[in-house]
Amino acid sequence: MPSSLVEFSNTIADAVERAGASVIAVLEGGREGVSGTLWRDGIAITAEHTIRGYDEVTVVLPSGAKSKATVAGRDPGTDVAVLKLAEKSGAAALADESRLRVGEIVLALGRRGTDGLATTYGIISAIGGPWRTWQGARVDRWLRLDLNPFTGFSGGPIVNASGEVLGMATSGPRHAVATIPVSTVNRVVDQLLQRGHITRGFLGIGVQPVALSDAIRQTLGISNDRGLLIATLAADSPAEKSGLLLGDILIAVDGTAVRGARSLQTVLDPENVGKAIGIDLVRGGKLSKINVTVGERPGR
Amino acid sequence: MATAVNPSTSLGISIGSAVGSVAEWLRQITVRVIGSRDSQGSGVIWRAEGLIVTNAHVARSQEHEVELADGRRLRGWLVARDPKVDLAALAVGAAGLPAASVRSAQTLRTGEIVIAVGNPWDGIGAVSTGIAHHAVGKLPWLIADIRLAPGNSGGPLADAQGNVVGVNSMIVNGLGWAVTSDTVQSFLKKVRLTERV
Repeated sequence: MPSSLVEFSNTIADAVERAGASVIAVLEGGREGVSGTLWRDGIAITAEHTIRGYDEVTVVLPSGAKSKATVAGRDPGTDVAVLKLAEKSGAAALADESRLRVGEIVLALGRRGTDGLATTYGIISAIGGPWRTWQGARVDRWLRLDLNPFTGFSGGPIVNASGEVLGMATSGPRHAVATIPVSTVNRVVDQLLQRGHITRGFLGIGVQPVALSDAIRQTLGISNDRGLLIATLAADSPAEKSGLLLGDILIAVDGTAVRGARSLQTVLDPENVGKAIGIDLVRGGKLSKINVTVGERPGR
Repeated sequence: MATAVNPSTSLGISIGSAVGSVAEWLRQITVRVIGSRDSQGSGVIWRAEGLIVTNAHVARSQEHEVELADGRRLRGWLVARDPKVDLAALAVGAAGLPAASVRSAQTLRTGEIVIAVGNPWDGIGAVSTGIAHHAVGKLPWLIADIRLAPGNSGGPLADAQGNVVGVNSMIVNGLGWAVTSDTVQSFLKKVRLTERV
């Protein structure tokens, strides 16, 4: 008999069973409920976009028991929300991200209300470097998966064939599955548990990309073909305090030439808050340099 | 880094050949059901004495042409049909046919490998593989993460050993839905009752 296929089948079913012990259902999420992953003892994560407006949610634990969980923090940037459970929970086994390989078998796991686990399988079709979500948050690694998403999978884990968690699944563009990898989830969970929110950098400027003419570039001896014109400047903002003025044209930030408004995103990453960043700009037709201390974006 | 693969020791190749031999067996118990207007679906030989199970949406008339794996074409008479569970049973005049080995879908674990054989427009006896999407419990449906095509309707969905766990019925949001083997069994029990009457 084809024992290798039976073994393979059992391996996948074992992985589902093992990882399923850390998959929960979040009944308020989405239209028909979503999933969550037990990340640390008493701490679960789920997809932030599915539980907007809730401070407390009902979860179905792997045991089948229903329980209330409080939303301890949310990060719309990476789509990670942290839930505090009322009881001890155990936690998922996390995979070693550095050992991911293209072609590896992966599973998406979800829990549907009280109906139990659901899964689909596929492979890692490509592994890429850091990327930014549409909301501007940095994610450490891009995992392109060849895998069917299914109703309610968001917030559940993507696991390998041993049942170890590679990250949190959420909906990506074009019905794809986006994975927020373990390292990024850990970073976000740490911050959310510590401060309840994710610190984002703040300069207090609104910018407009402008073309720099050949004449200006030659006169100033710069290579940029565009810059960012400061079109709005918030009162008492870090930018205003450091002496930036309306009409200044930014051409380099932290030593890197600007290409568009997105060039400022790196500066706004959480770890830059409180740091002085050098900004090269054109003011009144002359080059100038100003240091700005990145502030923290005021709460919403 | 390129690594040479020795075919005789590669797990991938041995899994591949295992899929091939399960598929070979499933083809023996899969029939092609041809309707009055040349519509084409699949069916499963459920009992060796000529009982074929297919979908109600495949078997829409009293009489069908049934093509066996060995090429024989037989007349199949509708003996039962229940659109609520999308099942139909056909009787053919043959005995000693290779018949399905049936496993209760309720015993299937989430993630177990499943294999479908059917007759989509571009391939007679076409094989696809996937995994069980959920534990069936009391549901009449077994949902699988598997790529099916319309001609799979009425054909078998089997486990890694070739035991039939369901009869493929439809595709919903990219997932395959099969009527569970348990539902088929209770449907067939009712058939017997009506035959006695």
